[in-house]
Formats: sequence, structure tokens, C-alpha cells
Amino acid sequence: MDKLNGENAQESLAAIENIMKQTRKAIASSHANSLLILWGVIWVVNNTVLQFYPDYAHYISWGFVAVGMFGTFLIHHISHTEPSIRSESRLRIGRRILCSWILLYAYVFIWLAMLAPFNGLQINAVCSTAAMFAYILIGLWVGSYFMVWLGLAVTAMTLIGFYFIPHYYCLWMAFTGGGTILCTGLYIRLRWR
Amino acid sequence: MTELDNIIHQPIRLRIMSALVALEHGGQMDFIFLRNLLKATDGNLGAHLEKLEGAGYIRIEKTFVAKKPRTFISVSDKGRDAFIQHIAALKLIIKTSKG
Repeated sequence: MDKLNGENAQESLAAIENIMKQTRKAIASSHANSLLILWGVIWVVNNTVLQFYPDYAHYISWGFVAVGMFGTFLIHHISHTEPSIRSESRLRIGRRILCSWILLYAYVFIWLAMLAPFNGLQINAVCSTAAMFAYILIGLWVGSYFMVWLGLAVTAMTLIGFYFIPHYYCLWMAFTGGGTILCTGLYIRLRWR
Repeated sequence: MTELDNIIHQPIRLRIMSALVALEHGGQMDFIFLRNLLKATDGNLGAHLEKLEGAGYIRIEKTFVAKKPRTFISVSDKGRDAFIQHIAALKLIIKTSKG
């Protein structure tokens, strides 16, 4: 082996660090991007339709939530049966995250039922901020800061829409909230691989 | 004394080991995932994996998932130790060069 100097050694260490970072990103993005794209599209379409057909809000929202849940289970199923990475703890963390989402929305449902009546705008804002609260918590627990920033950004947009432009809230959420989630998913898919 | 590892030091093998060590203990990586990550060709990657397997640094498991043949690769304890030693050697060279 040729004798290495300090500069070569520094380059080797940088290459190691770089590929380890790329590996972690590629693993994190392997199914997260599909989930973000799915839910981003659902937010965009659901909120756009709600803006123009508010009288059917109940049916529209439940319909889109059902589609989203089905898609989420499908993505989890594919990632479980055809994994790129096989690891016990990864499987365990995935199950815990899924359980946490189910529990969070079960509690949101209980709180809404207890504090009813609500208008559609309030229900939409509560559900949106609850989802972003989950993003922030998951981001903190798994050390994924892009999820924390995504959660904070969409929460801020929800609050701006809720307090300052209530008449166009759904349209605002479609493009800012849904758009942010969708673009993040696409960015991860294109840049983290 | 900590020395550079001749097998790991080769650039592609260094990248392979870095990617595998980034997984937790016992974690396995799919061949295609690794190939895409390193932007390597099948033949080139296969040859370097064989070399690492021969040294006992990695384990290669060929299996079937949903009736499709799949190859999973993981780093062995020996490989993880060798990698850590290699990094220590690189750090020592940097430290020595700085005086």
C-alpha cells in the first residue's frame, strides 16, 4: 500500500462519513418518501375539494382518510414483504410508529367528541396540527430533523390560515400544507437516493 | 500499533464497509440497495464483496423473498472491528501529520 499522508487520510475519513450519511438517508427515505407523497396528494386534493364543496365535508374527508389509511397499510405491507434492509429494531420501531399514529388519532377523536360542537374549519385545523405534532415527535425520537422542521412549518401555515384567512383556509392548506408535504416527499425521493 | 487495513483501504471496499457499518448490529442490506447506493455495477460490486467475504469481514446470504432471489449482506464482528481499527489508523495519520 502506498504511504498515506495526512491529506489522503482526511479524504478517506470524509468519504467514510459521507457514505454513512448517505446510507442513513437512503434507509430513512426508502418508504418515508412514498408516505409523504401519498399524504401530500391527499391533503392537496381533499382540501381543494373541501373549499368548493363544504356541504359535503364529512363524506369527502372520511373518504380521503380511508384512501390514505389503505395506502399507508399497503406501503407498510410492501416494505415488510420486500425489505431493502432487514433489521429487528427497524421492524420494531416501524410497528411502534404505526401504533402511535393510531393512538394519536383515537385520542384526537375522543377530544373532539368531548369538546363538540365544532365547525369544519376547527376540525380540519385540529387534525392537521395533530398530524404535525406527531411528525415533530417522531422526528425528535428518530433524530430526523427534516421531520421536525416539516412539522413546525406546516403547523405555522395552519395557524396563519386559521386565524388570518379563514374564508380560504382549505385552499390555503391544500397548497401550503399539502404542497409542503408533497414537495418534501418528492425532494427526498429525488435527492436522497 | 494501529495500522491501515489493506483489504478495507481500497476505495470501493471502503465505501461498502462504510455503508454496512452504518447499519445496526445484525442488520442486513439488499445487494440492489447497496449497488444503487454506491452507484456500482453488479460485476464490480460482486468482486469486491467476494474479497471482503473471503477476509471474513462480511456475510452474504442468498435467499428467496416472495419467490424472488435476493442477496443480503451484513458486516461481521471481525469486519466491524477491522473497520474501527482502520478509522483509528487514519486518525493517527492525520494527527501525526499535524505534528
